[in-house]
Amino acid sequence: MFLFLIAAGLSLIFGVLRVLNFAHGTFYMLGAYATYQLVQWMGVSGGRFWLTALGGALVVAALGGLIERFLFRRLYGKDELYQLLFTYALALILSDAAKMLWGTQQKSVSRPPELTGALHVFGAIIPHYNLFIILLGPAIALAFWVVLQRTRVGRYIRAAALDRETLGALGVNVDALYTWVFVLASFLGGLGGALISPMRATTPGMDTEVIVEAFVVVVIGGLGSFWGTFLGALIYGQVLSFGILFFPRFSIFAVFALMAAVLIVRPWGLLGRPLR
Amino acid sequence: MHRRTLLVVLLAAALLVPPAADAQKPIKVGMPMPLSGPPALFGEPATKGAMMFVEEINARGGVLGRKLELITRDSKADANEAVRQARELILKDNVDFLVGTLTSAEGPAVSVVAKENKIVFIAPIPKTDQLTAPDKLHPYVFRVASTTTIEGRSAAEIVAKWPVKRVATMSFDYAYGQDVTKAFVEHLKKIKPSVEIVDQQWPKLGEQDYNPFINAQMAKKPEAVFSSIWGGFFVTYSKQARAVGMFDALKYHFIGVGEAATPETAKSMGADYPVGIWGNSYDAFYWGETQAHRSYVARLSRYLKDEYPSSWAIQGYIGMQFLAEAIKKAESTDSDKVAKALLGLTVETPVGPLTIREKDHQANRGQLYGKTVMDPKYPFAIMKPVTYVDPTKFMD
Repeated sequence: MFLFLIAAGLSLIFGVLRVLNFAHGTFYMLGAYATYQLVQWMGVSGGRFWLTALGGALVVAALGGLIERFLFRRLYGKDELYQLLFTYALALILSDAAKMLWGTQQKSVSRPPELTGALHVFGAIIPHYNLFIILLGPAIALAFWVVLQRTRVGRYIRAAALDRETLGALGVNVDALYTWVFVLASFLGGLGGALISPMRATTPGMDTEVIVEAFVVVVIGGLGSFWGTFLGALIYGQVLSFGILFFPRFSIFAVFALMAAVLIVRPWGLLGRPLR
Repeated sequence: MHRRTLLVVLLAAALLVPPAADAQKPIKVGMPMPLSGPPALFGEPATKGAMMFVEEINARGGVLGRKLELITRDSKADANEAVRQARELILKDNVDFLVGTLTSAEGPAVSVVAKENKIVFIAPIPKTDQLTAPDKLHPYVFRVASTTTIEGRSAAEIVAKWPVKRVATMSFDYAYGQDVTKAFVEHLKKIKPSVEIVDQQWPKLGEQDYNPFINAQMAKKPEAVFSSIWGGFFVTYSKQARAVGMFDALKYHFIGVGEAATPETAKSMGADYPVGIWGNSYDAFYWGETQAHRSYVARLSRYLKDEYPSSWAIQGYIGMQFLAEAIKKAESTDSDKVAKALLGLTVETPVGPLTIREKDHQANRGQLYGKTVMDPKYPFAIMKPVTYVDPTKFMD
């Protein structure tokens, strides 16, 4: 489910800004590192983990805002190749910066003490923390859907995705809107990293691992489609789990085979719309 | 015009200056090691260990009156890149020897370069048996690392003593994971035929979500698990396994090879470490068996400015130590002579005497094994008692 958080940010940036953000995985990594750093200062007990996770995501969101304002802005409407090269370069620079700050040693964050227990269901054990993430995913999806469909800002965002110029002509500050969309997407990426940190090692290189998975999710679900991303994340998880259960050595293959099949039958993804 | 003049001058100088001046030139050693990305976690300290050795020996006057010079290159843990860097080190930097590489992909690839260029190559970390297998062996390749056979069999000896019958394995699906798991399973079945391998999971190298693998494995009700998930990946794996109560269900009949019990890993996990499991490590600052080791740890601690210095530095250190001793023994920096000197060479390393066998150019490098416990002296788990498993009896 955390994969959904990251993929949602990726999908959002593509849907609205029309940029494939390769550096999105790096935001996820920075979210984890920022959380680790805050945990070092504050600890995880007494509900402070949630503050650090939120703080980590906010730091990344702020960074995302700066990057959009000063760098990304120049990319809109450019050739896809340039966009990809730029975001890839950004990923490399940011990950090296993270290495300079935190070194190459793996870092680890403890689970918040209030969620260290586990639930026993039909012989399987589900840690409370995982349960929390499983519930958080749909909650965030729903919240976003409401914002996109029911609020004024949501209408602007959807309009911007369709026709930027007209929206600008109607008197909406599109530049500021783009910045906020990017901040939001970075926040989602950072939050994904922050929330996953208790379940994983925080190491350099976690960014490139996750970006590939997030791309698979987004491609299956449909680039730019919110519910598509949600569906894509669910399918990805299920195919992987059942793949491991039945063909342990081919589970990864199953996921990519599914992606290839989706690309052949519906190149725009399950819930996406064909581009033009 | 300028360049030619310079060349002529250099040539003349080379012809005129007697060989005595040559003795003042440093002996160059090229070291391709992963210095970026996740494998830098091991590549960096291993390089530092080699650097410390070079500094120390140069302070004592070097080897054969010449200083050692270490030239490091980032191999990016990639076989192609390691080969490129090794070639460049030989052609451009004119290195006399190669010591380096980390992964089981890089080692054999650089070995081919060493063979082509007839340059001694000492591999301090890659474990794959293929590096020194009969069909790949050549006069210039040597290894001071452990091997997958040694590691798998050492672990099998430990597991055989546990009161368990149903054993499962968890390893990455690539050369190292497959080789070490095979060695473990074969040896375990040989020394304890009553054991049944109930499940084997093969996540891809660098997997981040182990939950599906753990669930599938625990559904087969194993009593013990052997894992070779290494380095930072072990942190991820064990955190997720601990959250679903896997270690409790196994009653801590779990052994993690691939250096799961290094002080680095224990330190980064702190209280989250699955204390009670078995693991191994190339070195541990708290081992302190001999005066030589204690002195090494103290020097390393100062060199790295780290109270609990890395367990990986030792491999770079030992690699350079073997090279220096071989040069001394050969009284030459000629690779053919040094290669001969390395055969059967015994060196007093900080972890005790090690010998490179003539048969397969392999040092009898074992590892430390132990059950992890919390020690009030440290804010993280340590192996206690920690035992050096001598690999001699496990080597074919």
